[in-house]
Order: sequence, then structure tokens, then C-alpha cells
Amino acid sequence: MLKIKDLKATINEKSILKGLNLDIKPGEIHAIMGPNGSGKSTLANVLSGKNGYEIEGEIYFNGINLNDLKIEERAQKGIFLAFQYPLEIPGVNTNNFLKTSLNAVRKARGKKELDTLTFLKLIKEKAKELNIDEKFLSRQLNVGFSGGEKKKNEILQMKLLEPKLSILDETDSGLDIDALRIVADGVNSYKNKENAFLIITHYQRLLDYIKPDYIHVLSAGRIVKTGNADLGKQLEKTGYENLI
Amino acid sequence: MMQSYDFDIKQIKNLSLEETNSRQKNLDLFFKSGFPSKQVEDWKFTDLNLILSKNFKSISNKVNFAFSEKLETIKHFEHNHIFLNNGKIISSSFAYEDTNKILIKDFDQKEPTNFNPANTLTLLNSALSSGGFSLEVTKNYKLKKPLIIYNYFSKDLDNKILNNKNFIKLNEGSELTLIDYNDGHVQSNFIKNTVDTVSLEDNAVLKNILIQESKSNGHFYKYIKSSLESGSKYENYILSSGLKLNKIEIEINLNKKDSSCTIYSALNLLDDQHQEIKTRINHNSPNCKSYQKIKNVLNDKSRGVYQGKIFVEKIAQKTDAYQLSKALILNDNAEFDAKPELEIYADDVKCSHGSTSGSIDSDAVHYLMTRGIPKKEAVKLLINGFLNEVLENINTSEIKSFLEKILEKQINGH
Repeated sequence: MLKIKDLKATINEKSILKGLNLDIKPGEIHAIMGPNGSGKSTLANVLSGKNGYEIEGEIYFNGINLNDLKIEERAQKGIFLAFQYPLEIPGVNTNNFLKTSLNAVRKARGKKELDTLTFLKLIKEKAKELNIDEKFLSRQLNVGFSGGEKKKNEILQMKLLEPKLSILDETDSGLDIDALRIVADGVNSYKNKENAFLIITHYQRLLDYIKPDYIHVLSAGRIVKTGNADLGKQLEKTGYENLI
Repeated sequence: MMQSYDFDIKQIKNLSLEETNSRQKNLDLFFKSGFPSKQVEDWKFTDLNLILSKNFKSISNKVNFAFSEKLETIKHFEHNHIFLNNGKIISSSFAYEDTNKILIKDFDQKEPTNFNPANTLTLLNSALSSGGFSLEVTKNYKLKKPLIIYNYFSKDLDNKILNNKNFIKLNEGSELTLIDYNDGHVQSNFIKNTVDTVSLEDNAVLKNILIQESKSNGHFYKYIKSSLESGSKYENYILSSGLKLNKIEIEINLNKKDSSCTIYSALNLLDDQHQEIKTRINHNSPNCKSYQKIKNVLNDKSRGVYQGKIFVEKIAQKTDAYQLSKALILNDNAEFDAKPELEIYADDVKCSHGSTSGSIDSDAVHYLMTRGIPKKEAVKLLINGFLNEVLENINTSEIKSFLEKILEKQINGH
């Protein structure tokens, strides 16, 4: 599904990713762990198409060269990034945003756009699954939401847009234990043979709830070690230092 | 380009000799300085003389009032209406009201004497005004439905100037929502110079909503002078995007205690459109409140201006006055000018003002795009969010959703 070959990314003449290789197949959950500044969030940004990076190397998503796709096209083709810090956007109504987003994606996928009533019914269902209070949906996007509410809102968007590859950038940060469990349940219930996850995290904590098939350790812009779920537990005990 | 003015008082019928003379005096005073240019402090950001000389070879007040167009009302909500053609009443209907409680008639042209050389446009208005309406609501009558004033214009208005005076009076305890609705039935290149006098008696409530439905080559100037008595409330919403030139000058006199006013404006300006909102709020009495929120989105080569003055008299203790202007500038060729002014003589007051302008938040655009929304649409969503905020305080849901639709249309360029 996602093939990354020798990816290098530079921003403001500072080299962040220095030759990263990754291969994700449908149905797999990959976790990327690593210390601060190792390039974890840069990888997420580059995959989402954020401007400002100079990029070398290849990224293929289901056979399409990602560099050829605009930001919105990546989302339409099925890449979803749950932000580490979801933006507050004053004035933009959450429901209106979600409907615009869903319909833009549906349109690109050749599906019929949803009318308001059908949309509201759908969003109510999805919000309920994530234990999101309906009143948040009629508020301005993320404005005044707590950290946990913002992250739940990201997972809600994920489930709504039905991506093939979901990238979760430190989704566990700022979550209390209940919110963490709800987010993890959201991910687990969405997981199937067709889609894949790339979970970027600092700590083992989230991986207690979402079991990864692979864990990669990122350090100084490269993957220095790959293992199975046990690697995370080992890291929890020994820290990154022994690996770097 | 050299302009020729053909301003003729004889156009206005049934004037006594005295009225003709007083109008002539206003006209002579107008000709002493002509249309204001940027040398006049109040017009420093809107060089009307220059703008008119670029767009008009000649200007005449010889307007044909003949009218044959089909009159149509909007279907979004039940309302009373007045149809105006070139500012003159064609017909009115107050089907939802006790018609004994509402007085509507042609403006009595005998009333005005102006002679104030400080504003040459109001001089010109006093010299040439014709048409116009006078509306009065009797004591304690609250209109059940809003009133829409439909502004129609005749087709042949190229190089013409319309001068109207209107008078609105709400007697003690009465309430009215008035929607001043301009449709684009005319594409003529013309000038409209309007002077409104608004008088709110004790505890009266007037909500005044100004809508420009479609793009227009109109060059509009409107001067609203209002006076508020105890406990009265005056709310203004300005949604006038689409006019080539528009300057709205609002003077609000909070003359008695506990009166309050608000001015909300949401404008999305395109092409070389130029709009100015100039306010002067006079806090002449204690315990009054004023609140202004002016929002502009500037595209292309457009220009937005806000000049807002809050004046607080020595006796006006416990004044609560607030003004804020925010602009989103989306093009290097667009411009926004703000001139906030506070003049305060009382010592126990709460007055604040602020002005910000900037470009659109690129991180927000990015965020929306990662959700599959194309850039153009993402920007529109953000503009909409930015401007829509001014509608927050409209509590009639059918009017609010109607205004939201108008605003969306304006953001899409009509």
C-alpha cells in the first residue's frame, strides 16, 4: 500500500529525514517510535503533503507517486493524518466542516454527495460510537475543545472519511486513560484487512491498546531498528539510548 | 476626465418659492467645494471626487420615475414590504399588522433645511432630494413580522444621481426589524445619495439590516443620523458587498440613559470595489452601551475602510463602548484602512478598540485540505467562518439562515 524508498526531507536547509525506508501492506499496523527530534512528525507532514519541505526519494501509495498529488488529492485517495495538534478554526462550524470534507472526498471517489439530513444521521451515529457529545458538532471547529475532545474529533473524521492508510501523529499525547481507550477502540473497530495504520508515538502506552504488527525505531532521520510488538515493551524498560 | 454637472432644482415638483430658494442655497454651497476629495479629512480614504471623475463624464439629476418592472418579494419568510423605485414609494403592504399603528407616506420635502457646509453630499441631498419615505410606528406597537424595503431602480440611470431622504420614527416601546434590500435589477452606472433620519423614543427597538443582493455598478452614499432616547436599542447589520462604491456614515446619538446601539458589518469585496463604513457614536448620557464589529475580506484590487469614532461626553459616566475591526487581505493589491478614534471626557467609562488585518491562516487552509477539501473551497470555508460571526446575535432563525445564504452568495461573488 505504502512504499517509501530512501526518503530525504529538508526544511529551511535543515536535513530531517535522511534516507527512510518503509513498506506497509493492507491490514497492517505499523508503529514508529523514537526520541524527540528524530523526524517522526516530519514523516507525517511529508506524507500529508505539507508545504515547505524539499523532498528526495520515492513515496508510492497504491502505485501512485505521492509527489504528484496535491494535499486534498492525497486525502481523497485515502490517506488520513490525525494531527498531533488539531487546529482550532474559529467561525467554522464543525458539522459544516465535516459535511464539506465528506462530500469533497465522496465526490472524488465517484460517490453521491450526501444531503444534510442523511449526513446528520450518519455523523450522529459515528459520534455516538466515540462517545462524542452531539453539542460539540454544532460548535466552532475545535474551538474551546479539550485536548481529548480534539483527538476524538480527529478519530471521528478518520472514521467518516474511511481512509486506506491512517497516520496517527502522537494521538495519545494529552489523553487521559478513558479518552485513550475510546480512541484505541475507534482505531480497533475501524481496522480491517483492507486498511492500514501508521502510528507515531512517543510511548508504549497507546500500543497496550492497539497492537502493532511492526515497531520501527526512528533516530536522526533513519529507521534504526524494526521489531514486533515486544520491541515497544523493551523500549519502555531500556529507553532509546541503547539503540541509538 | 472633466465632468459636467447638470443639477436642476426645477426637476422637483410643487416647491414653494421659499423652498426653491433654500434648496438653491444648498446647491450653491455644494458647488463651492464640489464632491469631496481626499483633502477633506472625513474622505481621506475615499477620494469620491477622483472615483466619480473616473467613472462619470457627466452627472445629472434628471431622472425618469416611470416604472414597469414586475415586483417580486422574497419567499424565505413572511414579511411586510414597501416597494421603492428610485427611492419613491410604489406600493406598500402591512398584511401582518394592525395598519392603524403604522404610518407610511412619501417624505415631506418641506422639512429639510441643511446649509451645513461640512458635508457637501448632504448639502447636495438637501438641494436635490426627491422621493423618499416617512415611516412611523405608534407607541407600544411591536411589528409581528419584519419589514422589507425593496429598492428598485429604473433601467436608464446611467450618469444619474438619485437624492433621497427617509425618515423613520419608532415611538415609545415600539419595535421593528427593517431590512433594506437592494436587488440588482439595474446595471446602470449611477449615484445614490441618501440621508436617513432615525428617531427612537423611550424603549423602542430598531433592527436595521442592509443587504446588497447582487453585484451593482451603483455608487452609494448613505448618511444615517439617529437619536436614541432612554432604554432604546438600535442594531445595525451591514451586508452590502457587491456595490462598486459604497460609503455608509452612521451617526448615533445616545441621548438618554440606558440606550444602546450595535453596528455589525460583514463585507467580502471583489474586483475594484470600494466600501467605507464611518461611524460616530456620541455617548451623550450615562449608562449607554455601544458595540461595533466590522469585518472585511479584501480580494483582488478592492479596498475597505473603517473610520470609527466614539465620543463620550463628560456626563456620560458608566459608558460601555467597544469597537473592533478585522480584515483578511487576500491579495497584495487589496487594501484596508482603519482609523479608530476615542474622545473621552468622562472618567468612569469602559472603552476599548482594536484593529487587526492579516492574511488567511495557511495552517488552517492546510488542515482543511488534508480533509480532502480543495484549496479554493477551504479558503471560502474560512472566509465564511470569518464573516459569519457577525450574524451570531441574530436570534430569529429564519432571518439568520436567510442572511447566511446572502453572505455565502456574496462570498461566491454573487
